Amino acid sequence: MSILKRSKSATKAGAHATSQRKWAIGFLIAAVLIWVFYTYVMVHLPDGIQTVVQNWFPPTSLNEALVWVICALGLNIVVGYAGLLDLGFVAFWAIGGYSAGWFMSAFFTQVNFRVFTTAAKALPGIHISFWGVIFIGGLICAFFGIIIGAPTLRLKSDYLALVTLGFGEIIPQVFTNGSNIGGFNLTNGTQGISPVDNIGVPGKSLGPFDFSWKFFIFVFLTAFMVFISLRLRTGRLGRAWLAIREDELAASMMGVPLMRTKLSAYAVGAFSGGIGGVAFATHVNGVFADRFNFSISIILLAMVVLGGMGNVWGVMVGALLIAWINSTGLPAFGDLVNNTFHTTINFPSYNFLLFGGVLVLMMLFKREGLIPESRLKAILHESDDTSTNVGGSH
Amino acid sequence: MKKSYRAISIVASVAMVATALLAGTSAADAATKVLTISSDLPLQGSSFDSNDSTNKAIALYLKQIHYKAGKYTVKFKIYDDATAAKGSWDDAKCAANAQAHVANKSEVAVMGTYNSGCAKIEIPILNQAPGGAMTMVSDANTNPGLTKSWNPGEPDKYYPTGARNYARVCTTDDVQGSAAAQFAKSIGVKSVYVLNDTQTYGQGVAQAFTTEAVKQGLTVLSSGAYGEGWDAKQSDYTALFTKIKALNPDMIYVGGIFDNNGGQLTKDKVAVLGDNTKVKFMAPDGFTGYPEFNSMPEADGAYLSFAGLSSDLLAKIDPKGAGANFVKAYKKEYKKDPVGSYPVYGVAAVQVILAAIAKSDGTRKGVTNAIFSGSGITIPAKTSVLGKALTISTLSGDTLAKDVTIEIVKGGQETTLKAQTVK
Repeated sequence: MSILKRSKSATKAGAHATSQRKWAIGFLIAAVLIWVFYTYVMVHLPDGIQTVVQNWFPPTSLNEALVWVICALGLNIVVGYAGLLDLGFVAFWAIGGYSAGWFMSAFFTQVNFRVFTTAAKALPGIHISFWGVIFIGGLICAFFGIIIGAPTLRLKSDYLALVTLGFGEIIPQVFTNGSNIGGFNLTNGTQGISPVDNIGVPGKSLGPFDFSWKFFIFVFLTAFMVFISLRLRTGRLGRAWLAIREDELAASMMGVPLMRTKLSAYAVGAFSGGIGGVAFATHVNGVFADRFNFSISIILLAMVVLGGMGNVWGVMVGALLIAWINSTGLPAFGDLVNNTFHTTINFPSYNFLLFGGVLVLMMLFKREGLIPESRLKAILHESDDTSTNVGGSH
Repeated sequence: MKKSYRAISIVASVAMVATALLAGTSAADAATKVLTISSDLPLQGSSFDSNDSTNKAIALYLKQIHYKAGKYTVKFKIYDDATAAKGSWDDAKCAANAQAHVANKSEVAVMGTYNSGCAKIEIPILNQAPGGAMTMVSDANTNPGLTKSWNPGEPDKYYPTGARNYARVCTTDDVQGSAAAQFAKSIGVKSVYVLNDTQTYGQGVAQAFTTEAVKQGLTVLSSGAYGEGWDAKQSDYTALFTKIKALNPDMIYVGGIFDNNGGQLTKDKVAVLGDNTKVKFMAPDGFTGYPEFNSMPEADGAYLSFAGLSSDLLAKIDPKGAGANFVKAYKKEYKKDPVGSYPVYGVAAVQVILAAIAKSDGTRKGVTNAIFSGSGITIPAKTSVLGKALTISTLSGDTLAKDVTIEIVKGGQETTLKAQTVK
């Protein structure tokens, strides 16, 4: 059976090359359609309809959701591809956010360092262009990804999850309490760092109302992560990740270097978290330690699991959906119900009840997620279609 | 290949649902002279009760004045700047709300925010609104840096256009901390140990307290500008207080909010140092409005300060005044008292906004100008729900009043002791 599966996936790899061009086109069309709608169509709609769009699908929440997608795609590499349960992904988001805070703001007043920045000349601090900080933030995160990966190499499942959980708790604490590290103010504590510099594009500095520009930049970053995810998956590294996910021992017997492969999963995943963090800091125009709590890690994990572990499109849909429900969907729905039936139910407070319920139902009836990865689906349903249980299902 | 089609079809179906939703609604709010004012407060988590009460108070007040401000009719819209996932204010939600305020064409001014961190995000966005800055008047932001020079770059970094668009009706942390230190001196305290919860607010109050305490000639036994931080995640503070006991202070000043494990802190303080008559215990308004705190036996005798005048003080100062009457009306309408003292301040903020609207041409710019230029806004003592005249500085947007209420916890209740006006 496994030989059969392998040959099947080999033919699939051939088909992937063409499908990857297709996704790029599909993705671009979707992005352009949304952009055209918000930039050109929306302004001509009657006020009433504009209000409804503002209430249900405000452009800011769209941009915010894209940040979630970027982070979820990173987590998908760690959890979905390599099968390493990570409960502390928020740490990378935080590190990315603070990279933006450090390198794109007037926070370090003691220095004056500028590279292609949009910031005003009079402003002290380190001001590096957004495009540079994206990579700096990503690389710092990748470095921390390796640091967290290193001690976990010998660990499996529950133990691994605990170490990542610890990491996810430690990093935000460092940021919260980092206002006085031997007399040096590294993070400004809970006051956070704000504002950060505007994103610069040729001939323009993007203010808070340039959604469409930011939308395109975030879409570009998402596409970049999708591209990385898809390309890596079909490549040697991706196949090694999948092999580790399915059977670590067998993979190492087949010659997959466990250490390098696992570390690269952490590094690539963390890189994505860093990009997301920088993007988020420019989205809210600042970085605040309060935000980075455990629930962010859990929501990201829920996005990956609900959407379909290992499937880039599933994760994207899961992330968009959950981010939207959390920020706008549920409050807007609550308003609608409360206004219609004159009730005063606090809908958003049922958020976790809803998530929990949906997750339980999903685990009972559709374990592989909304848009499952074909391979994972096959494993999860292995016992369904053969009389002998191979023991591969978890 | 199949997958990519699926992805496209999902995007397409989402778009279809969106258009279906759009088609189902009709145009509204076409009337020209109806202006919207909004509140922007966290309505999830532990501060829900207080902020929900603020919204109720504002709704009641608008009903009392028949939704009129000068020649304009006013509508009230509620925004929530918290998400359930976080259980408190959420930075992304604050940014989104600020955008929504600007996008909502009929909206002219915002009452909010509750948290200073959220204000730091919203003020710059409202400041740069196309067509003129939109004004925000807060009932509860006590962080000094929002309006006066505090940390490097503050407050100018919150006003990218250079013009002000933010006012508040409560006094700031520095005033509250100073008032607390002056009060401590007045009750014969000689030495004090200062603690803070390591957060913006807590450190701000603790710093102001420490500075003023030194000025008043008290001995500050803790080191640092804002005393020693307590870790909210710690389960026990016995060691901390044992260390403090050796220094033998007359008073413990706790700069912070009750949510940050203030209950355990209070319990351990009493367990190690003795009750609050022996070694006094004082906290800022981050500890007010919490029935859980007041009902703790260990809280008995604790002093609290509040940045403004508490609701029951309003009734005491002038039992027939606008403030006392409003609290009575609230009780009649909702069958209970306003939660804490911020609801009344929320109404005061709305009074400022309404006065500005009445003075303006009905545009955002007009409202902002009414507050920050010319004679500015003064709510006379006769109508002000705060029981005394409320004047907003046209330069900083701060209230000129520097009132702080000192309360004492007695028999499970916050009881007003006196009003302390900062000299």
